[in-house]
Amino acid sequence: MEFLANNWGSLLVGAILLVVVGSIVLRQIKNHKQGKSSCGRGCSNCPMEGKCHK
Amino acid sequence: MRIKIALAGNPNSGKTTLFNALTGSNQFVGNWPGVTVEKKEGGLKGHKDVTLTDLPGIYSLSPYTLEEVVARNYLLKEKPDAILNIVDGTNLERNLYLTTQLLELGIPVVVAVNMMDVVNKNGDKIHVKKLAEELGCEVVEISALKGTGIKEAANRAVALAEQKKAMKSVHTFSSRIEEALNAIEAKLPDSVPEEQRRFFAIKLFERDDKVKEQLKPVPDVEDIVTAAEEELDDDSESIITNERYTFISSIITDCYTKKSKNKQTISDKIDRIVTNRWLALPIFAVVMFVVYFVSVTTVGTILTDWTNDGLFGDGWHLLDIGAAEYADASDAYSLERTKIDAYLAAAEESGIDVEAVTEALDPETENPDASAVTAFEEEAAAAGIEGTAEIYNDEGEIEETFPVSLEDFQTAAQAEEPDPANYGVWVPGLPGLIKSGLESINCAPWLEGLILDGIVAGVGAVLGFVPQMLVLFIFLAFLESCGYMARIAFIMDRIFRKFGLSGKSFIPMLIGTGCGIPGVMASRTIENERDRRMTIMTTTFIPCGAKLPIIALIAGALFHNAWWVAPSAYFVGIAAIVVSGIILKKTKMFSGEPAPFVMELPAYHWPTVGNVLRSMWERGWSFIKKAGTVILLSTIFIWFVSNFGVVDGQFQMVEDLSDGLLAVIGRFIAPIFSPLGWGEWRASVAAITGLVAKENVVGTFGILYGFAEVAENGWEIWGTLSSSFTGLSAYSFLVFNLLCAPCFAAMGAIKREMNSAKWFWFAIGYQTIFAYLVSMCVYQIGMLVTAGSFGVATVISLIVLVAFFYLLFRPYKESQRLEKEVRV
Repeated sequence: MEFLANNWGSLLVGAILLVVVGSIVLRQIKNHKQGKSSCGRGCSNCPMEGKCHK
Repeated sequence: MRIKIALAGNPNSGKTTLFNALTGSNQFVGNWPGVTVEKKEGGLKGHKDVTLTDLPGIYSLSPYTLEEVVARNYLLKEKPDAILNIVDGTNLERNLYLTTQLLELGIPVVVAVNMMDVVNKNGDKIHVKKLAEELGCEVVEISALKGTGIKEAANRAVALAEQKKAMKSVHTFSSRIEEALNAIEAKLPDSVPEEQRRFFAIKLFERDDKVKEQLKPVPDVEDIVTAAEEELDDDSESIITNERYTFISSIITDCYTKKSKNKQTISDKIDRIVTNRWLALPIFAVVMFVVYFVSVTTVGTILTDWTNDGLFGDGWHLLDIGAAEYADASDAYSLERTKIDAYLAAAEESGIDVEAVTEALDPETENPDASAVTAFEEEAAAAGIEGTAEIYNDEGEIEETFPVSLEDFQTAAQAEEPDPANYGVWVPGLPGLIKSGLESINCAPWLEGLILDGIVAGVGAVLGFVPQMLVLFIFLAFLESCGYMARIAFIMDRIFRKFGLSGKSFIPMLIGTGCGIPGVMASRTIENERDRRMTIMTTTFIPCGAKLPIIALIAGALFHNAWWVAPSAYFVGIAAIVVSGIILKKTKMFSGEPAPFVMELPAYHWPTVGNVLRSMWERGWSFIKKAGTVILLSTIFIWFVSNFGVVDGQFQMVEDLSDGLLAVIGRFIAPIFSPLGWGEWRASVAAITGLVAKENVVGTFGILYGFAEVAENGWEIWGTLSSSFTGLSAYSFLVFNLLCAPCFAAMGAIKREMNSAKWFWFAIGYQTIFAYLVSMCVYQIGMLVTAGSFGVATVISLIVLVAFFYLLFRPYKESQRLEKEVRV
């Protein structure tokens, strides 16, 4: 309990960081499985619109 | 019941603009099944049950391209209730070719003649009623850009769709062909719907293989077609094509009145200069110079300075209120610190120990030891110390010198650092806010270090260049939208042809100025396999958006924003493409005749502000998203491996980054880069992390050198960076990162497009070795010329240079051809 009381700030920040990192990693894996382009941009102004990726 | 309307037309006819205007935000984007061509559908605004399908832009319903096959299959199988055919009113003759084919499908067609604003502005006239009569369908005048006539066009299409009446084409071919077509129609299976029989008959006459796949059974019509070909002395496809164009020409004569037949359009007049044999290249060079100079060195720098010094720095004065007063106070304080440093330096030189007093006078020291200062002053007074202070200008040159006495030192020691918050409205920067927040919750020091010195320093260093990138993207979007980029491919065709490529190979490189991935994908348009592979290999030499922070960092931090650095990066890329093209085309692997290059040059027009800003924001947002994902993960990893290492046999957090795991790895690989002038572990590691994403090079610098060093662009940074870089080695570093293998994502695109592990590794190996050799030559020969330095690496560089010239200028031998006589 004492450990929690003394380190709640670090634990909170650490947990937030873990959640952020975890969600980024999961999102990247999901995008990769869906075949989304890693160029990351929208298509409507790209000369390769409709030809590049799903 | 749901009505389906298909939107069909040539590329560049304004289809997308019309589709966006008719559907607004009610659109959804997917894929045509089985292919990677994007499918767009949307609900028609103002009509609840009407779906508008945007077909790929096509010139005809022939079976030669994926887009044509996709469009045709949709029209035949899905049988939309109506077709809204958009034609470019300024280019009616070419656009009507597709129209004549659409009219044969039996589906009701409304022809929307677009760009009427331009037609009217040119003083030309389209006789719409006559055109409708000749085509046998409804014709509407519209301007998708201005929004005029589009509702009427949509309403007419909906009305036709609701009638559910099949349409019969009024166009007939010559009697001989009609005879053949009737004979073919009679042989078609009953499964072919009545309204599509004519279309299928024409396609069978043209020997269309794709259409044959859709017929069961396939009627044997070869004798009918052959007989017609012999009688008309031409192949069947050409017969049909010629007849269509004859019909179209007759329509144009009756329906289109040009104000002045021989009058040059504005586009023609501009092209006379822009694509002029002698002026084209210099104009192109000037345009790209201006683009990069303004983006990186002038406008972009002003904005980036605020981002780096303000948002990701200490903070900024809102609307500059109080900024001038604070600047004066800060300069006065700096002067006092200069006097202190000069006096301490003089004291140290005469043998007085200044360690304690230096720490006591350090503004960051908590609870300074006043007795250390008193003791020092006594010692200095006894020794009669006098110092000399030097004031430097922005270029690092001494501007002024003056003596510093003990009294001056004592006065200076009393000076307090001004707090910017006491002047005007001060907005603290993100690092300060985050630090305060973390300290207030007693966050562990290592976690605070990870967040501030890792994530904020790394990601902040990258995001600091967003303003420069946005300015660059505005320029590129403008050049693309106005039509100039298309001319560049045409201009470069003349040069490319000299070494066996065509301008078609330059189009992927133009696209690659945004991102290398679509650039590599664009190589699909090159039919010749060898040219396509060579294009894939060289496309990423052009600096993409992600490389801009590296260019901006080197130009700003290490060359004091010299005007030539940023534009030279672009031209280094072009030169690398040209040189690689010449060298590779002379090898057996890539030799061969260049492919023909036919390209439509769209008319020049002022791009809409919305389009330019949208394009800029899309690219910029993708950069920011990448910073928040890939770069963020990379900075966390880099921070950990640089701040943890084995000390005294124990794996723990290190005080000095040079003891970290990353430094150990970096020192192992650094000697590889010594001949390039930057064989120091931090620079080597930064280059390697650039393989994940090119922006990582800057992010890694931010962590390993400290964000302040990266953000500053004054001579002060030389204090730290000069241990790793001189001007020459900095440029060598820039060249290496510009030309070497691209990021992992682009490598993935190369792997997919090459479709061969052997070719993929060849491409990556070529790019990396090329980059290494060029960088080595830049540094070694530069050192020879500027400093007279000569060593083993210099000799190797000279040999490499000679080899380059030999490979460039050796005669081109066409690949061996097998010639055999064949008796017919």
